[in-house]
Amino acid sequence: MPVTGAAKIDALESLRKQLGRQIKSGTELLQEREQKGICLVTGLDGLDETPGGGLPRGQLTEIIGRGPSRGLGVVMAALLARARGEGRYVMLLDVGAGFSIESFPEGDLESLLRVGCDSAKQAVEALDVATRDENFHLFLLDGRDCEPSDWKSVRTQQWYRILNQLRQREAVAVLFARSEVTGATKHRLEVVSRLALGDLHQERLVILSRTQFQPVRHFTEEKAGALRAG
Amino acid sequence: MKRKEGQVRDHTLSAYAVVWCRDFRLQAVKRRSGRGLPVALVDDTQRQSIVLCCNALAARSGVEPGIPTVQALARCPLLKVERPSEAAELAAGRSLLETALSWVPGIEETGPGILTLDLATQPPAQWQESAFRLRDRLFFLGLEVVIGLGETPALARLAAQAALHGGVEVWHLRPEERLEKLDQLPLIIAETGSGLNEKLRLWGLQTLGAFARLRREDIASRLGDEGVELWLRLTGRLRRPLRLAKLEQLFEEHHDFEYDLHEREPLLFILQRFIETLVGRVAQTGRAATAVHFLLSFADGSCHAKRLSLPEPSLDSEVLFRLVSGHLESFEMKAAVVALRLRFEPSDPVASQKNLFGAGLRNRHQYEETLKRLRKIVGSDRIGSPRSVDSHRPGLFEDAPLPAELGEGGGRASGPPVTGPTLRRYPAGFRTRVQVRDGIPLRVESSRISGVVINVSGPWKSGGDWWHHGQHWERIEWDVELLNHGLFRLVETGRGWVLEGYYD
Repeated sequence: MPVTGAAKIDALESLRKQLGRQIKSGTELLQEREQKGICLVTGLDGLDETPGGGLPRGQLTEIIGRGPSRGLGVVMAALLARARGEGRYVMLLDVGAGFSIESFPEGDLESLLRVGCDSAKQAVEALDVATRDENFHLFLLDGRDCEPSDWKSVRTQQWYRILNQLRQREAVAVLFARSEVTGATKHRLEVVSRLALGDLHQERLVILSRTQFQPVRHFTEEKAGALRAG
Repeated sequence: MKRKEGQVRDHTLSAYAVVWCRDFRLQAVKRRSGRGLPVALVDDTQRQSIVLCCNALAARSGVEPGIPTVQALARCPLLKVERPSEAAELAAGRSLLETALSWVPGIEETGPGILTLDLATQPPAQWQESAFRLRDRLFFLGLEVVIGLGETPALARLAAQAALHGGVEVWHLRPEERLEKLDQLPLIIAETGSGLNEKLRLWGLQTLGAFARLRREDIASRLGDEGVELWLRLTGRLRRPLRLAKLEQLFEEHHDFEYDLHEREPLLFILQRFIETLVGRVAQTGRAATAVHFLLSFADGSCHAKRLSLPEPSLDSEVLFRLVSGHLESFEMKAAVVALRLRFEPSDPVASQKNLFGAGLRNRHQYEETLKRLRKIVGSDRIGSPRSVDSHRPGLFEDAPLPAELGEGGGRASGPPVTGPTLRRYPAGFRTRVQVRDGIPLRVESSRISGVVINVSGPWKSGGDWWHHGQHWERIEWDVELLNHGLFRLVETGRGWVLEGYYD
């Protein structure tokens, strides 16, 4: 016998009554998160002014810069500095060997653990392991040098497992990439501003204040797949 | 004021306790047979089996040490006959020591079933209460003991003997009432030779108190060294350091399998039990495990031994089990396991004052475990906290261990002031063709990026290591903005142009 929508709702309501407050609806959870201020405030105007007010805890955030010199590195450096200021450890999963130490103040690197990875797949595997560790509250996956097809080898379940682990620890993961990576991401921002030569001698705070973030919406796993295939 | 003879000169609060397990060999085996039964320990090694010792119930039925076992059974038909067991004595000895450790750390194994405890670390008001508590705990474990307390090891032993003879559980020989108490004790309690006892009896001395009141010179001239030694013991002047028990043996567990074991699961089960037991024992000493020694013996005669060290001393059973089980899973067992041995290496637990506003790793064990797993994924040389090296060569850094504690980081970050975007290097740099006019790059062509230079900053010359043979380097950097591409760093070396990286 086919089960109607109303019957399903009734069954769910009845189950909820039986279980009391053990189960919560998505809306309730969302409200709860908003009440708890569940976002990590970054101190970056562009990021903190986005819906939610920062980087959502227990979530993976993609920060996309479609091409070099969008300022993703500056954002990363700012997140590092903020974490160091708060005395928190950060793990950087660095795909490629492009890390340049002279770009960061020495003190900011004290709380940073850098994990050099050969590929996007390896970095995600490492992230999968790392997000189980309660010592780190912020994970930065630097995939700026990855091609969109590099992410193809990452299994979707792995992303969801990482999300689950992040949720359990209320940790924050930020993926820096050149294009959308996974449909598992609910929070995706694109940096639309560009750097100019004059910025090379500009204070970072000034550069950051000019960095423009724009939410990217409606990106599904199917689209991600199509993008990788394309 | 002139000090009276026999009065203790040292008024420091030194104190000792002697825990005496009467008929220890019998009690060791009796633990298995339960209470409420007449039990005798017999010696079967002689032609005729004889009773070595018996408990009070058996004694009440007329059983006594030295009589033939047959006779003992005739007197007490319900008598349970036990043989001495080295294993049972060893286990009982361990239980005794382990339980006593819950009171004080300094313990001497004076004899089988006899421990001497140094109470110097304990507040005097709690000596007696703690003694009763220890007695109760041992009783629960099937060991009946008496405890004597005194200001020297010898007096504590005397007090324990007094407790044995007096049928009390705890006997405290306090310094201020020592002579009065010794007046109540017969000479036999002092465990001296029968010759001396007989001589003293003939002198008309009945109690230890009466002996202690004699003058030392008189005793020395009439009774010699043996008499003086007893006098010194009774007056509290005979002090000796304790030969403290080596507790390492307590921190070890082993299991010999009766059958060959091929599976890991049963091993894990036993390991968990071992760890919980050892954690309890080490905890009683106020210490923590800094490493675990793991030894597996195989049926083919080979063995696998490993010292598994912890990042910091811990007594977390879960952490220790993960450490050992993780190692167990990391190697292949080529033959059946016949024996397993596990030993904890004790150390002082970590006690450090954290920075008031600083932070540190919340869970170092978990961090070490994460590192181990990450190394398996990316390799051991690619993880670390980046630190600059003593060189001006661009891009050089080394990986240092992540500090377990972070200092206050609320102020400005140390290091040079930061301006401009960050540089992201291409792994090996791209060989690039660069069109130059008047020494200034005009157009860049490489396999990765090609474009027209619309803005340029440079040249920035640098060099170094000329003082090291063969390591001299020199370069000229240009920061260029390529039309529709972004900001890049171009480097001119003696071998041509290289696109080193991009600014981001």
